[in-house]
Amino acid sequence: MLRYNFIYELRILLRSRWIQLLSLLLLLLFGFSAFNGKEKVEKRKVDIAAAKQEVLDTDQSMLKLLDSVERGMAVSASPWTIPTSPMAVANYYPRVVAMDPQPMAFVSTGQADIFTHYVKPTATGDDFALNFTEMTSPVQLLFGSFDLAFVIVYLLPLLIIAFSYNVLSSEKESGSLRLLASQPISIRKWVFQKLILRFFWLSVLVVTTLVLVILIVGIQPLEWSKVFGLLGLALSYMLFWFSLAFLVNLYVGSSAKNAVSLLGLWVVFVLLVPSVLNQLAGTLYPMPSRTLMINEMRERKVEATKRQDEILDNFLRDHPEYAINDSTQTRSFYHNYMASQKVVKEELAPIVNAYETQLKKQQSWSRQLQWTSPAIVVQESLNNLSGTSTADYENYRRQVIAFSESWREHFMSFLYNNTLFKSEDHTNLPQFQYHALGQSGVPKAILILLAMALVLLGLGFAVQGATRQKGILAD
Amino acid sequence: MIIKTFVKETKESWRDGRVRIAFLIVLLLLAMAVWVGVRQYQNVNEQYRTAKNTERILWDNQGEKNPHSAAHYGTYAFKPKYPLSLVDQGVDKYVGTSIFLEAHKRNEAQFSAAADQTGLARFGDLTPDFILLFIIPLLIILLGYNSFTKEREMGTYTLLKSQGASNWKWAMGKWMSLFIPIFAITALLFLITGILLSNLKDFGVFKWQSLLTMFVIYMGYYIIFINIVLIISSRAKKSGIALVLSLSVWILACLAAPKAASNIAEAKHPYPTRQEFAANVLKDKKDGLDGHNPWSKESKLLEQQVLAEHGVDSLHQLPFNFDAYRMQKGEEHEAEVYFKHYNYLKDQFAQQSKVYKGLAIISPYLPTRFLSMAVAQTDYATHWDFADAAEDYRIATQKFLNDHFAENSNYGDWSYQADANFWVGLPSFEYDPPELGEILTDNTSSLWILGAWLALSFSILLITTKTI
Repeated sequence: MLRYNFIYELRILLRSRWIQLLSLLLLLLFGFSAFNGKEKVEKRKVDIAAAKQEVLDTDQSMLKLLDSVERGMAVSASPWTIPTSPMAVANYYPRVVAMDPQPMAFVSTGQADIFTHYVKPTATGDDFALNFTEMTSPVQLLFGSFDLAFVIVYLLPLLIIAFSYNVLSSEKESGSLRLLASQPISIRKWVFQKLILRFFWLSVLVVTTLVLVILIVGIQPLEWSKVFGLLGLALSYMLFWFSLAFLVNLYVGSSAKNAVSLLGLWVVFVLLVPSVLNQLAGTLYPMPSRTLMINEMRERKVEATKRQDEILDNFLRDHPEYAINDSTQTRSFYHNYMASQKVVKEELAPIVNAYETQLKKQQSWSRQLQWTSPAIVVQESLNNLSGTSTADYENYRRQVIAFSESWREHFMSFLYNNTLFKSEDHTNLPQFQYHALGQSGVPKAILILLAMALVLLGLGFAVQGATRQKGILAD
Repeated sequence: MIIKTFVKETKESWRDGRVRIAFLIVLLLLAMAVWVGVRQYQNVNEQYRTAKNTERILWDNQGEKNPHSAAHYGTYAFKPKYPLSLVDQGVDKYVGTSIFLEAHKRNEAQFSAAADQTGLARFGDLTPDFILLFIIPLLIILLGYNSFTKEREMGTYTLLKSQGASNWKWAMGKWMSLFIPIFAITALLFLITGILLSNLKDFGVFKWQSLLTMFVIYMGYYIIFINIVLIISSRAKKSGIALVLSLSVWILACLAAPKAASNIAEAKHPYPTRQEFAANVLKDKKDGLDGHNPWSKESKLLEQQVLAEHGVDSLHQLPFNFDAYRMQKGEEHEAEVYFKHYNYLKDQFAQQSKVYKGLAIISPYLPTRFLSMAVAQTDYATHWDFADAAEDYRIATQKFLNDHFAENSNYGDWSYQADANFWVGLPSFEYDPPELGEILTDNTSSLWILGAWLALSFSILLITTKTI
């Protein structure tokens, strides 16, 4: 029977031009979205490369300036920008601290449109005031991006619904159900076989078009494991929707009713559950007010400026290591400033950390509840796979702050020892290397999705439906 | 006949359990969204007031200080939330709420709410605008996809023909049966919102006219959807097909077109990155006068000019502090640089807007979204307006401080300190958002597009129902 079904399905699909239409549609959707993602990633790479090149150029001019000063020549730069002063280097010659795109970044935009991918922290800048958001039109953020993740999470289920809502009901409506009922196969099994075959054909189409698109977009050969992750996610998500369609086909009635029910489920899983969860996360773990944080920050700073001499004395007493070789005891604006900045930063740490802990709580809460909607599971896993999730940007922020700390420390010892910055010190400047998060959690997500699909399929087979009691032909 | 069809259709859909459940769910969601919105609105406004007052207290109590130190110390402009943001949050979540106003620098608004949220936030929020823009059109589809197809499927079509009623009246009845429930549910929402808002404390800016305008815009949007759904239903062979087709229109208009538009707009007219923007500004700043640098070529030029103007031969003989005067001139140059670069951003956005308007041909969602945000004062234009007002205030503040410094101290006297009560003299930052009339004239093109959609969909509906 399976063999007949298989041949019949294939013929029907080919003759109704479903397959042709679907492959064209998939190719268009996947192609357009992957192209969009690729374009974004390219722009990101170009921006970072340009920024790095700029640093190389300014470093060259810095070395030239240093060389001239060291040889006792007059220079035309403003006195406070001459790089013999360590603080001038620390403030006017910052490094590019960049978050390089992951190989799969084109799959999902995630949070990549909100956050910036490179900053240049200076010694006097405040870490907590560092602006990590990118300059984009907010309208763009509001509408979101037409990326592969959007096609997979939002559109693929709709294609499945259009492809499977009337498997059983159309037989009923065209009158061929009686014929079918006389065949030596249970209706459940028959619907199941039919849907599995459709799942199989759609999978073949999705996999070939996706691989084709990825090959065109181009991916490093080593990252095929991630491509398999992507395919696995897409397929298990599709299986989930086919199992839903299986249940609805068995238990609901006419074609139109089936379609409405499936669409209702789509609205619930893709639109409502995520927005309700987000709302709840915000209500349960509200973010402290940023405007009030500004107030607090300003008050602490005023305090610190008032007692800056005292702060500096305490600071040097606590950190004798900074001024081991200082014989001059010179004190400039920066001596005071850097010490008070450190104090303010330490005082503000709990306030700034409150945002991170709150965000962490929201994240772990939504991670626990993500199984309420497979759409969330897939979207989050695709973000992780692409290295564009909230966690990735948090990881980057942490690394930036650590780097700017080491940048500052590096120049603090120059400052408090009152030593000049020399040409040979240039090679010792701290360098930044971004380390991506290791685990993506994709296998776990695939398992969750498969489990959901299996439970639904099991339900379809196990639970006694109205059809069994009344008989499939009863109206 | 119109009334009879209307009554019959309404009864029929009300007896359908799915319709009742759907209606109930939409009402429930709306209630939840409004409740959450009101709470949020009160909360944010409370924070806004506290922040504004605290900031002003800090500014007023600076004590004796050099005016230019105060300029570097700076102050903040906070963005208030407007009452209609309760209905449409617009881009509020994606733009910052506070702008740091300091000497020499125009800063962008900082701390957008979206940056402090998890990835879930990108799915959308449960706000009234989400329900108004996405869910109610879906409800229309659910109510109307089988309006005509069911007559065909149940065989009542020939019966209807024999009644002698014109197609037009018959279709009108069906149209009304879709329109009245949607009208009722939307009117209810807007009425409740209006009553809630006018009962909130200090609702100063809330106006019923704006709410009514918004209501009219949404009704226009729904009428377009009703027309589309009926057109499809009158042409489709089966209910299932009509449903799938209507839904494809919905996906295209509400989900795909906006996203595609945003991708195309960005690819065609990109913004510079934050760092690029800063670098460009810095480059232009260097080409002009730097208030802090008395040795530069531009400074020397200014020096000679001022000396010649006053007919003296040393800066000490000037009746004012030349350091502060130069500082002010530098400030003016920098303000010009920022003006130029921010105008570039605005130009880019104007170009992007054209892309959005171009794609409005396939999506009535786009003009509705833009109009609704504009009336709610949560759109990008209002944000620009606020940022510009803050910049004007910043420039005025710098002049206020530099002028005082120039008039009350002598050249070279950097240790001069202004009186402790001097700071109170700075007027506080007040921002008035654009009025409704102004907003509507700014958005006439969107109004035209929406009007064209209405006219077109109505005429196609008339033609298709004539030949049914």
